[in-house]
Amino acid sequence: MIHFENVEIGYKKPLIKVENLTLELGVIYALVGRNGSGKSTLLRSINGQISLLKGDLKINHFSIKTLNTKEKSRTVAFVESKFDGVPFLTVENYLALGRAPYTNPLGRLNTSDWEVVKRVANEIGIANFLKKETVSLSDGERQLCAIARAIVQETNIILLDEPSAFLDYANKQLLIDKLIQIAEEKQKCILFSTHDLDLCIENKIEFLTLSNNSLTKTSCQSKKDLIAILEGKI
Amino acid sequence: MKNPQRINWLLLGVLLAFPAIVYFHLTVGQIHISFNDLCNSIFAYNSENTAELLAREFRFPRLMMACVAGAGLSLAGMLMQTLFNNPLAGPYVLGINSGASLMVAVCLLTGIQFFGTNLGLISASLIGAFAAGMLMMSVTSFLKSQVSLLLVGLMFGSFTSAIVSFLEVSSKAEQLKSFTLWSMGSLQNVLLEQIPLILTFFAVGIILSALIVKPLNLLVIGENAASLLGIKIKQTRIVILFITALLTGLITAFCGPIAFVGLAVPNITRIVLKTQNHLTLISGNLLFGSTFLVLCDILIQIIENSIQLPINVLTSLIGAPFVIFILIRQLK
Repeated sequence: MIHFENVEIGYKKPLIKVENLTLELGVIYALVGRNGSGKSTLLRSINGQISLLKGDLKINHFSIKTLNTKEKSRTVAFVESKFDGVPFLTVENYLALGRAPYTNPLGRLNTSDWEVVKRVANEIGIANFLKKETVSLSDGERQLCAIARAIVQETNIILLDEPSAFLDYANKQLLIDKLIQIAEEKQKCILFSTHDLDLCIENKIEFLTLSNNSLTKTSCQSKKDLIAILEGKI
Repeated sequence: MKNPQRINWLLLGVLLAFPAIVYFHLTVGQIHISFNDLCNSIFAYNSENTAELLAREFRFPRLMMACVAGAGLSLAGMLMQTLFNNPLAGPYVLGINSGASLMVAVCLLTGIQFFGTNLGLISASLIGAFAAGMLMMSVTSFLKSQVSLLLVGLMFGSFTSAIVSFLEVSSKAEQLKSFTLWSMGSLQNVLLEQIPLILTFFAVGIILSALIVKPLNLLVIGENAASLLGIKIKQTRIVILFITALLTGLITAFCGPIAFVGLAVPNITRIVLKTQNHLTLISGNLLFGSTFLVLCDILIQIIENSIQLPINVLTSLIGAPFVIFILIRQLK
């Protein structure tokens, strides 16, 4: 659960103000807004890479200011818009890195850690290429791996920065299906930024709109109205 | 991380061949040393016997230095490549060597000494290496592009060599000679008494590297991702910088600037072992690095009668084409 209390977000100058807003577990939210409206800034403030200018942000009832690096890594997972792969790094070992918040200082995974990796790989449908190198995969496969890596992290909250940006239509739908399934089955709070309005409307995903420097929940299901909101006309 | 069994065969093969290479290195040269002399030089040393004297005072220290220099520079190179996420990084390319060389030049050419002769040279070299490392670290916070970082390293190298040339012109003949000999790089300047000190520094470097295996494994997916997985990036950077400067400074002080080992060996190791598990990579680099430099030195010993080839010349002859190969692979 993410709870905003009179938060001001931005680099030095406030870019977004959020008075009072709660994002629930078990729900998937699509963060929409025009270029430069602050989608990435918002996501990076929730994962703790950018500190808040004002107010407080509570993650699972704990103020983000009181969480240390390790605690944050156990509550919030982040998926960047593109993972290019690393030579000689296999999918299996890439997913294993997601267990880092739980392993000892030497980074060794125990049997139950490996079980998590295998289970998630099966759930996401990438068990077939666990032994493949991450650079040898297609963009779509690699994006699924990145999401699997975030799920392996076993956090309540998963943030994704434009996960569908580099995917073709079929892969976009596949990605959305997986995200909806994860949010519902595992009771996670998933927040992803996107420009694919149609896709989100078709899948009845709740919107978080960023316009006029403020963040609001919108259950609006018509593209025309949504665009009007994003343009700041409503 | 999981280790497929097959990768360890190569490591094992080189490991088994290593004693033979070492034995060859000890015995070959202008004067052949027999197995008996070698044993005697360790267990029943008699300084009257020329062969035993040669083995104990010259061959063993030289072998030690070859192993430490090869392994240490490769380890330092691997750390830099992982930290900067760049296969072209290395102590030489990024100017860590240049920093050390500059300080040694200041020491040898102007006669300014830090703490007496022997330790003074090492500390000067270490200070130079640390300063250059800090400089490179601060530059990376401004530059995102991999190529520009290498360009800055290259420019820094040219800049320091210009200062060194200036110092050379204005120095006395005696000082100039000792510096020129040092700068060509040699594994023969080390004395038996210095070996314990060198091994201590070297061990510190290896132990520290083994302790940061987890951050290293995570750094390959980028600093941002690593920090969101609970790694303290600033701490890791400082430790990596410390190890690199320690190893490079130490080796540069004793052997002079040795080029390309720190760049080529980590790349070869990664390609051969096909892994990003840094525990395997560390052992691979230590083994392949020392094997590589010992082999180079054997070659130097063999042709010693006809040509005196400085180690730096040989590593550059092999290393420079290899860098071009990596560049082409990267930019393709």
